[in-house]
Amino acid sequence: MFSFRGCGGRVAASFTKRQFPLPRLSSDSAGPRTPHFDVIVIGGGHAGTEAATAAARCGSRTLLLTHRVDTIGQMSCNPSFGGIGKGHLMREVDALDGLCSRICDQSGVHYKVLNRCKGPAVWGLRAQIDRKLYKQNMQKEILSTPLLTVQEGAVEDLILTEPEPEHTGKCRVSGVVLVDGSTVYSESVILTTGTFLRGMIIIGLEMHPAGRLGDQPSIGLAQTLEKLGFVVGRLKTGTPPRIAKESINFSILNKQTPDNPSLPFSFMNETVWIKPEDQLPCYLTHTNPRVDEIVLKNLHLNSHVKETIRGPRYCPSIESKVLRFPNRQHQVWLEPEGMDSDLIYPQGLSMTLPAELQEKMITCIRGLEKAKVIQPGYGVQYDYLDPRQITPSLETHLVQRLFFAGQINGTTGYEEAAAQTGFHSCCPSWSVMPSQVAGITGMCHHGVIAGINASLRVNRKPPFVISRTEGYIGVLIDDLTTLGTSEPYRMFTSRVEFRLSLRPDNADSRLTLRGYKEAGCVSQQRYERACWMKSSLEEGISVLKSIEFSSSKWKNLIPEASISTSRSLPVRALDVLKYEEVDMDSLAKAVPELLRKYTKSRELAKRLKIEATYESVLFHQLQEIKEVQRDEALQLPKDLDYLTVRDVSLSHEVREKLHFSRPQT
Amino acid sequence: MWRGLWTLAAQAARGPRRLCTRRSSGALAPGSGATIFALSSGQGRCGVAVIRTSGPASSQALRILTAPRDLPPARHASLRLLSDPRSGEPLDRALVLWFPGPKSFTGEDCVEFHVHGGPAVVSGVLQALGSVPGLRPAEAGEFTRRAFAHGKLNLTEVEGLADLIHAETEAQRRQALRQLDGELGHLCRGWAETLTKALAHVEAYIDFGEDDNLEEGVLEQADIEVRALQVALGAHLRDARRGQRLRSGAHVVVTGPPNAGKSSLVNLLSRKPVSIVSPEPGTTRDVLETPVDLAGFPVLLSDTAGLREGVGPVEQEGVRRARERLEQADLILAMLDASDLASPSSCNFLATVVASVGAQSHSDSSQRLLLVLNKSDLLSTEGPGPGPDMPPHLLLSCVTGEGLDGLLEALREELAAVCGDPSTGPPLLTRARHQHHLQGCLDALGHYKQSKDLALAAEALRVARGHLTRLTGGGGTEEILDIIFRDFCVGK
Repeated sequence: MFSFRGCGGRVAASFTKRQFPLPRLSSDSAGPRTPHFDVIVIGGGHAGTEAATAAARCGSRTLLLTHRVDTIGQMSCNPSFGGIGKGHLMREVDALDGLCSRICDQSGVHYKVLNRCKGPAVWGLRAQIDRKLYKQNMQKEILSTPLLTVQEGAVEDLILTEPEPEHTGKCRVSGVVLVDGSTVYSESVILTTGTFLRGMIIIGLEMHPAGRLGDQPSIGLAQTLEKLGFVVGRLKTGTPPRIAKESINFSILNKQTPDNPSLPFSFMNETVWIKPEDQLPCYLTHTNPRVDEIVLKNLHLNSHVKETIRGPRYCPSIESKVLRFPNRQHQVWLEPEGMDSDLIYPQGLSMTLPAELQEKMITCIRGLEKAKVIQPGYGVQYDYLDPRQITPSLETHLVQRLFFAGQINGTTGYEEAAAQTGFHSCCPSWSVMPSQVAGITGMCHHGVIAGINASLRVNRKPPFVISRTEGYIGVLIDDLTTLGTSEPYRMFTSRVEFRLSLRPDNADSRLTLRGYKEAGCVSQQRYERACWMKSSLEEGISVLKSIEFSSSKWKNLIPEASISTSRSLPVRALDVLKYEEVDMDSLAKAVPELLRKYTKSRELAKRLKIEATYESVLFHQLQEIKEVQRDEALQLPKDLDYLTVRDVSLSHEVREKLHFSRPQT
Repeated sequence: MWRGLWTLAAQAARGPRRLCTRRSSGALAPGSGATIFALSSGQGRCGVAVIRTSGPASSQALRILTAPRDLPPARHASLRLLSDPRSGEPLDRALVLWFPGPKSFTGEDCVEFHVHGGPAVVSGVLQALGSVPGLRPAEAGEFTRRAFAHGKLNLTEVEGLADLIHAETEAQRRQALRQLDGELGHLCRGWAETLTKALAHVEAYIDFGEDDNLEEGVLEQADIEVRALQVALGAHLRDARRGQRLRSGAHVVVTGPPNAGKSSLVNLLSRKPVSIVSPEPGTTRDVLETPVDLAGFPVLLSDTAGLREGVGPVEQEGVRRARERLEQADLILAMLDASDLASPSSCNFLATVVASVGAQSHSDSSQRLLLVLNKSDLLSTEGPGPGPDMPPHLLLSCVTGEGLDGLLEALREELAAVCGDPSTGPPLLTRARHQHHLQGCLDALGHYKQSKDLALAAEALRVARGHLTRLTGGGGTEEILDIIFRDFCVGK
């Protein structure tokens, strides 16, 4: 529990938001006792909350600065978490003891694993989330995190000082100046806010700035960053309209029921908070030629689609789907927004048509004939910071101890972008949203890594970097920081070289132990659990390898397995486990004395089966991973002068590029 | 004072790009944790060639290739018979050196094979090494890189970096370009394209199959393409005749009308009396074969009966066999008596054999022919030489040896074309590389089956594509994503 006397407006862990007065800090009331933290996190969205709690878990006294405490945990437009690729990221965040997976296990209304029949390496854990519950649970967690202080306030500027000579960067951040002129000092600062990102909302031909016009502080911060020389790019994206639930005729649509049983996101949970039968269904409908017609007839009223600013290659709006793939039916998923929400989110119908045409188009769609649009869809354009300006630990090259996290770096689906610029579907109308601009979201995985590294930096410890060979987080950060992005970056499993090794099931074996030892961000309980699982798996696999019978004996023991008895060589139990119809239970029945102990934990039994499935390929991948890691281990000195070094066959162009990007390896 | 750096830093922020690792820029090397091998001495014909391996499977490779299957003492030269592990065929008697890591050039287990420097031997050993599980041909600069990674090279870190960059970009690009000329490169690029597309469709099915509506039949189409690719690759690998010629020798057949001096030439080239030589036409009645080394190439030299009609049954059989052998020849040495060019048998021979092979040589079937006019010593110095309508030819005297050097040089060129010249252009290694990666690709495709676990099936395609793109360049994940977004309407 931590609180500063004389610094009103901070919420110590035990405070509730109701007690939150936000008095201005005047210089005389703060007096000589200028507050000092280890880490300041600016922005209370997904990245901000993850970053702040991660830094606090690492033992840093942390301040979370947000525009409004009651918007913490506000979900972005899309009422869902996870998916293919994204579900992998959530498992990895959880392996580092991050928040979002655990909160989702307490707040979902429809849990479903995608790709169930394509192999456990590419399962996509996904859930529809109740916005209200998520926000409640997140705020409860944030406000009870030890060492974490939450304060309302907008940041006007960064405090910059002389750089540390042993690091690159032209200056060093040592605190922030708030809008009221007060200062807060810290050892590291994490920026997860997008207020300065000049978001524009587009509906039809109208454009509205997404940030409040008189929002001085963010302008000050934006100017400081630009003055420092940070390179900014522009992206565009969009969000669908929201439809009144009672106006939809669900009875004629395809119903999708949740999984039974539900698979939780977190390694720490055996199950989720809600029974499958109490969960809400989703529904599927499709577009038709009449939708195409409305889009094509009204292109002249649609400036977002006409704009040349590069949008994602994956179709963000129904307009671009129609333009690029005409004469097709496109899927529309009707997703619940929460247990007691009367809104439906039509995934696949993001659009920027003028509001009155949106309803006209929607009522062409089966099941939506009488649908009422509560809030129109809109397009968003926003600035992002070129992620090539940050290191793999998410610290900026330019300013020492300044970290960027979340969507500020161009990581996003449209939902983060919209949230970034302050739009939330839970609001009654889009036009009131700009008041909530204080940097809402970003991405959990970025947040965790930034929080950990900001904390490690304070303690002068080496950065915690996840390589491409260790996790989807590593792939994502490596792609962004080395290649940059010209479209909102979305995680796909196809981006991952070692996909069969980096699975949702084994994120704990890959990251929890490292997180505990190197970052200190993992609880003792989680660490012990991960250690037990890892050693049980290793032991189980070696026992399975050691059991060898002839194929005919296996056939007798497990008649349901399609084992070919023509093979003369003895067959290992591990190979028998590879057969689809064999699981640890059938093996344990066949060889009870050796294998029964591995079926007592359902989790362990399932994971042994997965390990067996991929065993032959994993051996080869392990070799490759070792080779890549050896290359990665080659550290280049930060102060190497690439321009003048002699006896090296480098072209001038290469020298310049190396000089600017300063790769670490 | 730090303010003074603003401009520089502002520039820095504009152009940052990483160059020196391949982590995100492309698919990873198939089997890059493997043991590598390469010809370490220069290319071309030399007295001794050194072939080196580095990596954990080095000792296994040494045991498999050497007849006594125990390892020789470390760091001592030992004489061993090398043989091909697949056929058991002996390759060479060689000095082998075993350097267990870390006391070796790269810091890993290393083996050096000091073999006789002929292209056939070198090629044979490289191909034998390529067939050992866990071994693959080294990439450019890879030995150095490994040595550097193990702290074995007394270089600055910067030089190591240069190696990395140089090896991974410039040299690789140049090598890839060199390999990509010609028919094989064209084939490989086509295969890589097909495979990339098939993989992209499988990947799309994995990443977007549930949320977005892909068209029907995406996987089925990929299956069909993969099967077709398997067939094409398999056929190509079976048809590796050039490699075969280099291993077992090119067929060189000496032919011509009776008494042109064919047997004399065979004896001259083989430096031993293989055939009976007499002034009497029709002395040689059967096909006489002798293995010889011509200009470093292994050659199976065949002496045949003179081609003529209307003789006795024994000689007739000889002529039939000669014609049969002629059809199988890689290189034909067509001989005429320079002093007897006007005779009917000479004219007939020119009109039939020489003209028909000459016409053929423009097409794909690559039978080659050298026209040799023997008995140049009988031509009077001032007398008329061969007429102007004579096809390109060489003058030779088997008696005086005049013109023999010219003939040998011409033979070297022709054989190089027949066998694939290891000493110029794409090196021996290239072919070993090609074969290794094409075989690797085919093996991986064999693992692709529409199993329920699509991630495993896709992995097989990824490995297969990795092999092909090692030959053609490219292979990044962005290519895959580009195809996905071009071919499918995916996204929210």
